[in-house]
Formats: sequence, C-alpha cells, structure tokens
Amino acid sequence: MPTIKEIKNQLSNKNISVQELYNDYYNKAKKSKLNSFNHLLEPEYNKENINSSQARYDEGKDLSLDGIPLGIKDLFCTKGVPTTASSKILEKFIPEYESRVTQNLLNDGSLFLGKNNCDEFAMGSSNETSFFGPVINPWKNKNNTDSQLVPGGSSGGSASAVAEGICVASIGTDTGGSIRQPASLCGVVGLKPTFGSCSRWGVVAFASSLDQAGPITNSVEDAAYLLNSISSHDPNDSTCSSHKRDNFIESVGKSFDRPITVGIPSDYLKDINSDIAEQIENTKKHLLKLNVNIVDVEFTTTDFALSTYYILAPAEASSNLARYDGIRYGYRGEGNTLEEIYINSRSEGFGEEVIRRILIGTYVLSAGYYDAYYRKAQKVRRLIKNDFQRIYNEVDFILTPTTPNEAFQIGKKLDPISMYMNDIFTVPTSLAGLPAISLPSGLSNNGLPLGIQLIGNYFQEKSLLQMASLLEKEFCFNE
Amino acid sequence: MSDINIKKVSYLAKLELNEEKAALYEKSLSEIIEWVDNLKKLDTEGVEPLHNITEKSQNLRNDEVLKENSTEQVLSNAPEKAQNFFRVPKVVE
Repeated sequence: MPTIKEIKNQLSNKNISVQELYNDYYNKAKKSKLNSFNHLLEPEYNKENINSSQARYDEGKDLSLDGIPLGIKDLFCTKGVPTTASSKILEKFIPEYESRVTQNLLNDGSLFLGKNNCDEFAMGSSNETSFFGPVINPWKNKNNTDSQLVPGGSSGGSASAVAEGICVASIGTDTGGSIRQPASLCGVVGLKPTFGSCSRWGVVAFASSLDQAGPITNSVEDAAYLLNSISSHDPNDSTCSSHKRDNFIESVGKSFDRPITVGIPSDYLKDINSDIAEQIENTKKHLLKLNVNIVDVEFTTTDFALSTYYILAPAEASSNLARYDGIRYGYRGEGNTLEEIYINSRSEGFGEEVIRRILIGTYVLSAGYYDAYYRKAQKVRRLIKNDFQRIYNEVDFILTPTTPNEAFQIGKKLDPISMYMNDIFTVPTSLAGLPAISLPSGLSNNGLPLGIQLIGNYFQEKSLLQMASLLEKEFCFNE
Repeated sequence: MSDINIKKVSYLAKLELNEEKAALYEKSLSEIIEWVDNLKKLDTEGVEPLHNITEKSQNLRNDEVLKENSTEQVLSNAPEKAQNFFRVPKVVE
C-alpha cells in the first residue's frame, strides 16, 4: 500500500491528479463488500475540495495532507454529512458543525471519502453491534477460508477499510482498545494518543474520561502525519492539553541517540496462547538487534483493570447517553406524554449492547451502590496509574501483546464477559491515559495478522512513533 | 447472586424491557457485577479517587456567549418542531 508521502509525491509530480486519486479510491470503496463504510461521499460532493487541493499542488503549495482520501469513523460530527454512531437512534442525524479533529484534517487539505462503520456508540470489540450490520475483515483464516471474520472493534470499519486499501488511512476513536484491537486483527497500525492530545469536541461521547481520537494507517509514518494534524489544543474541550505539540514525523525512522529500555510485563504473559507468545519472543529478538535493553517488569494491578473499566466506562456512558431523549434530535418513538416519548425513543433506538452498558452504568451509579462500585473503581484507577508510573521510572517503553487472540468468526456470539476479555491488554493503558500503538508483528498459525502493543509515557508520542518505526522496519510486515 | 432489581434500574435509565429481555439483562448484569466484584479484594484505604487523568491541566475558557448557531440550525435535526420551538406533547394541564 502506498504511504501518504508516496501519494503526495505522485500528486506533486503530476503522475496522478487529485480527482483521479479520489475517483480511484471511491470506486474501490463502492465495490467493496466488507461493509466498512456507513456512508460514502461521491466525487461530486467533494468537487470543491478536490479542485482547491489540485490548485495548491499546481502552485507547489500543497498542505500536509493535501488530496489524501481518508475514512472517518462514524462517531465524528461532520457538517452536513450523516453521523450515526452506527445507531438507529442517530440514523438520520446530520450535524450542523464539524468536530475539531475532522476540521483540523480538512484544514490540512485531506478529503473525506466517507464515514466508517463501527460498533454502536463505539461499544463493542467485534463491530457486530452496529445497527448497519457487521464489518468483515479482509483477512481469511487459511485453514477455514469459507468463514468471515470480525475486524475487531469498535473502529472495525476503519481498520477493515485501511487493510483492504479502499482509503489511505482512517481516524478512529479508542476508549478501551477500540483503535488498537481492530488494528491488530486487521494487520494495520493503530495509535491511541495520550488522553488530552486530541480534542473530543464533536465526537459522539461514550466515556469522556477515556475517549480519544487516533489514526489507523498502513504505516507508522502515516500515523505520524495524521497525528500532526489531529493533535492540537481546543478551548472547547477542557481536558484537551494546551502544551505545544511536537512534530511527530521528524524522528520517524531515525535511530535513538540514547540507550533505550523496554519493559515486558511478565503478568501479561501468564495465560497467552502460543501464537501470541511467538509475537513477543520474535519482537524481543528484533529489539536486541536494535540494541534495546529488555527488562522484566511486573504490574500489581493488571487483574483489576477490566473490572475497573467495566464499572467506569458504563457509568460515564449511562450519563452521556441520557441526552438521547427523542426531543431535540435523533429517533423519536411514539408517545402521548413526554415520559412515554423518552422511554419509547430510547428503548426502540438503542441496540442490545448499548442498553446493557446503560443498565450497568445506571446500577453502579445508583443510590447505595455508588461507593461500592463507582468510587471504588476510581480509587483503583489511581492505583493503576501509579503502577504504570512506578514502572516508567525504570523503562522508556512497555511491550505487550495487543490482543489475546487472532480475529474470530462473525456470529460466534461470545457472551459479554468473553467479549470484554478481548481488551485485556489495551484497557490498562486507557485507564492510565497513556499513549500506545499497535503494530502488525506477524501471522498466526492460521495465517491471520497479530500485533504487538508499545506503550509510552505521557505525551511521548514522538519517541513512541520513533521506536515503532524502527520495529516496523525489522518486522517487514508489509513486504 | 447479586441483588439487582432490573425493573428499578431500567426505570432509572428510562428504558422499557419486556419480561423476556428483563430476565436476560438481569442474568447478564448479575454475572458482570459478580465479575467486577474482585475489586473488593484490593485495599484502597486512603487512596484518592481519580476522576480524570488530566486532573492538573483543566483548561477552562472564559464564560462568553458565542453566536455560532442559528435557530434554524439548532432545530434542523428536531423530530418535531413548531415555529421556533421543539414540539412535545402537552406538559401542563
């Protein structure tokens, strides 16, 4: 797959026009049978943007993402373009404003090919909870080529589309692993930045203390290009950091001029299968070749991370989703009273998993249970954060598997807890708010892609991308 | 088993569940709550709750009125509207 830099060179050298490039991706996306887009934008819709992008290339004044066709997870408000969160309740919602992240991408010249399918309200790990049907992973199990596999979730449409090559890259969101897990299962790169890097303004809210936008790409360098665009301060999000952002591309591909130590948490590797163990062993060899010191580290809170997450995230979700009442926007059910409208709109508009999360959240926040569950989980969250900080006194990065397994079959109908276990390696990082990247590292015995996760310290995305780019070169996954 | 009263929880969440669904969710919630109950094993005496990871860097802006939307825009997604208002069933007798 061509990188953003390569495509930009093609456009600068006039080997292809912006229009031709867009049409090319649009036609591929239209023909795709993987259901990775909820909504595609025809070339005609983007005509003005295509023309102004071409004009900038003609003048040699192209912007950092000029003319690059991107997928956008259908969770970002896009002005005049349907934004559904893959839910019936927002099926007909057309925002009157642009999210900060997508506005940044437009300001840098990129073109939106459409809105990527995802789990309903980003709640899921297989993209099967979408109101618009499951997304299909472009990869096939070589020992069972008839079955269709999940792309992971919740940014499953984004990961599937990037892996299939029907958009150059996509922007997803990650609450407990929703960028990294699908990236791993589809064999692409997925970066969750530090909480507070990218504005949440205009992103349909799931769990506000965890949600973060990030790129899903075919290369680490592309992830750096996109992060440069989407990471910026925004006065409309009080949790968005105001520090000056690094140029994330500068260090990509360069060796470190200081000794680097990577910690591998032994407690993460207790129960992993042989496919996953092989990824870690293989990564260790490459790290040694890169003269990286490897040390064993051990967390004391890992066993409590999923429990903490499945109290806090549903609690925040139940509060955030209270706004869907059928009055101001979204689906309205029948009713002769306000109360009936509220109840019918919500009961008919939300899908099964979303209702489950709202119920969990309502329960743990309700009188008599708040201290035992919600407050307790917030205390444990601090212990998890402290646990990471203790380990960052000794190491620069932490290496873990991204997922406990390869992509599984669509319709396998995992019970909720088994599904939640898919995020066992990604959730602790989310709770700590740290940046983490999933990198394709190899194939399973069934020929399916697997990824490793590199975790950095707060706002250290620049060195994290640098480390990832060096490993990427070692893995040669795309060759 | 935990003591989940699914009728009460769904009432608080403004959700209506038929008998079959209520039974399914009650079972599902009980299992999940039992699963997360392992937190009780952890001593958190004296630990301050962590509300937000960026707790030291809240960036508040001035409370200034900005006119960024027209009435028409605000109402553009309303399921029902009348003149310049969202339309709902009669609330006061």
